[in-house]
Amino acid sequence: MNSPTIRLIKAEFTMMRRDPLVLTFVFAFPIVTMLIIGGAFGTTPDRAFDFTNPSHWYVASYLTVVIGAIGLVMVPVHLASYRERGVLRRFAVAGFPRWSFAIAELVVGLVTTALACGLLLAVATPVYGLPSLQNPLRVVTALVIGAVCFVALGVLLGSVLPSARSAQAVGLLLFFPSFLLGAGGPPPHVMGSAVHEVARPLPLTLLTDAVREPWLGIGTATVQLIAITALTIVVTAVAARRAVL
Amino acid sequence: MSTNDVVTVRGLRKAYGNRVAVEDLDLDVPAGEIVGLIGANGAGKTTTVECIQGLRTPDAGHLRVLGFDPVTQASQLRPHVGSQLQDSALPDRLRVAEAVELFHTRHGTDGAQLLEQFGLAPRKGSAFGTLSGGERQRLFLVLALLNRPRLVILDELTQGLDPAARRDVWAAVRQLHEEGTTVLLVTHETDEAEALCDRVIVMRDGRVLDAGPPADLVDRHSPVATIRFTLPDPPDGLLDQVGRLAGVSAVDRHGPRVMVRGSRRIIAHVGAVLVGWDTVPDDLSVQVPTLEDATITLIGDPR
Repeated sequence: MNSPTIRLIKAEFTMMRRDPLVLTFVFAFPIVTMLIIGGAFGTTPDRAFDFTNPSHWYVASYLTVVIGAIGLVMVPVHLASYRERGVLRRFAVAGFPRWSFAIAELVVGLVTTALACGLLLAVATPVYGLPSLQNPLRVVTALVIGAVCFVALGVLLGSVLPSARSAQAVGLLLFFPSFLLGAGGPPPHVMGSAVHEVARPLPLTLLTDAVREPWLGIGTATVQLIAITALTIVVTAVAARRAVL
Repeated sequence: MSTNDVVTVRGLRKAYGNRVAVEDLDLDVPAGEIVGLIGANGAGKTTTVECIQGLRTPDAGHLRVLGFDPVTQASQLRPHVGSQLQDSALPDRLRVAEAVELFHTRHGTDGAQLLEQFGLAPRKGSAFGTLSGGERQRLFLVLALLNRPRLVILDELTQGLDPAARRDVWAAVRQLHEEGTTVLLVTHETDEAEALCDRVIVMRDGRVLDAGPPADLVDRHSPVATIRFTLPDPPDGLLDQVGRLAGVSAVDRHGPRVMVRGSRRIIAHVGAVLVGWDTVPDDLSVQVPTLEDATITLIGDPR
């Protein structure tokens, strides 16, 4: 239990726990915005929400906000900061195995996703009620694939952006449009056609559809799931090489 | 090359695009010695040690470190090498004790004892971001030594430290030497190299200009010592006798001020002559050449 990779995972968890950006963006932001927007449209099923309870629509959508925040903000800023400060070089010369940091990032990203999603559901349930899972296998599959995809995307961004500041700037620039257009903003049915066309191929939109539709029983989102799976394979393959010490 | 060498480099070349950082470099680090790599910024020192650590792949040359090829056998080599890297930090929120736990392997030495030894035990609960420059460097030394390395590479160890912190770090390096650890010290501070190193390698533009014990380098490249004193009315024959001493190259007198130049050996002989004449000036001063003088001569040499 004292392998270098285990020690690195433990240290990375400790760093994540102490990072105010993580606490704000990954844990607090999705909950606060979900509580606000989930109550804005009431609970009466509406055509704009595919005839589902709008509050439930947003509860089913906001797990992917957590995933987006981790992949587009937390991981890139963390990794770019490590590269900028020479922390990765220090790990490399200290003899940490080549894949240890990539594995640590993946484990920390996935566990953080699970914790933040659990907390979000724990807050949502007493306020808006938990929408029943119509196709749990599809929902869980999409969540797991999506979480891996966005952690890998975060590693890729963090490995190409030159500094923590630039990673933060680019990450926020990617996160907020993705969040508003594809996950936590207005439903696609009320968007103009041009905005809808822009929103549809965004990775976070694909993932949100792949989670929300089977959850609420309004579709299977098979195409979106295949697209996000393909993206995961490509991004993970590239990111894994970039994260090698 | 000797079987006693911990590091052997032959014909190392490394370029970044069109800029050649290291060219045809040979280097040996014998076991148990502190070897200094000195030179101005951009001399190729850091590139050289990065190749030795396997962090960069050389364009050409043969490298053996503790019997391993640092490029193809980096994973076998690194557990035996303790490294303090230039421009490398730890996460600001990582505490001292956590850093020790993170870098400590099963076969390593007692981290708590090392923290005690380097005066960091009272700071073990402090975050890296709150440590002073000297404390950070001492922590890097602790981390470099955690796994009982056979070779320690220290790159610009005291850069940016105040004089007191530098002395603390120097004492720690001397302690390593006494324990028999081999140290490769990269620095552009010649006083640091002179104070710590058994042998110094001077680099310029990616090449080795000269190598040897600091005193030998001084003798070869800046051998002139200068003695100054005031004698308002020197006894007849005294200055003639000084001028005839072996090693004296010049005796200049400007009014009561006398300046004698020559090899380092003249310092004792001139003193003896003055004492012999019962003429001991109150203001006698000696300017001894240092490694800095020798390095400036070497680096400024247009060869």
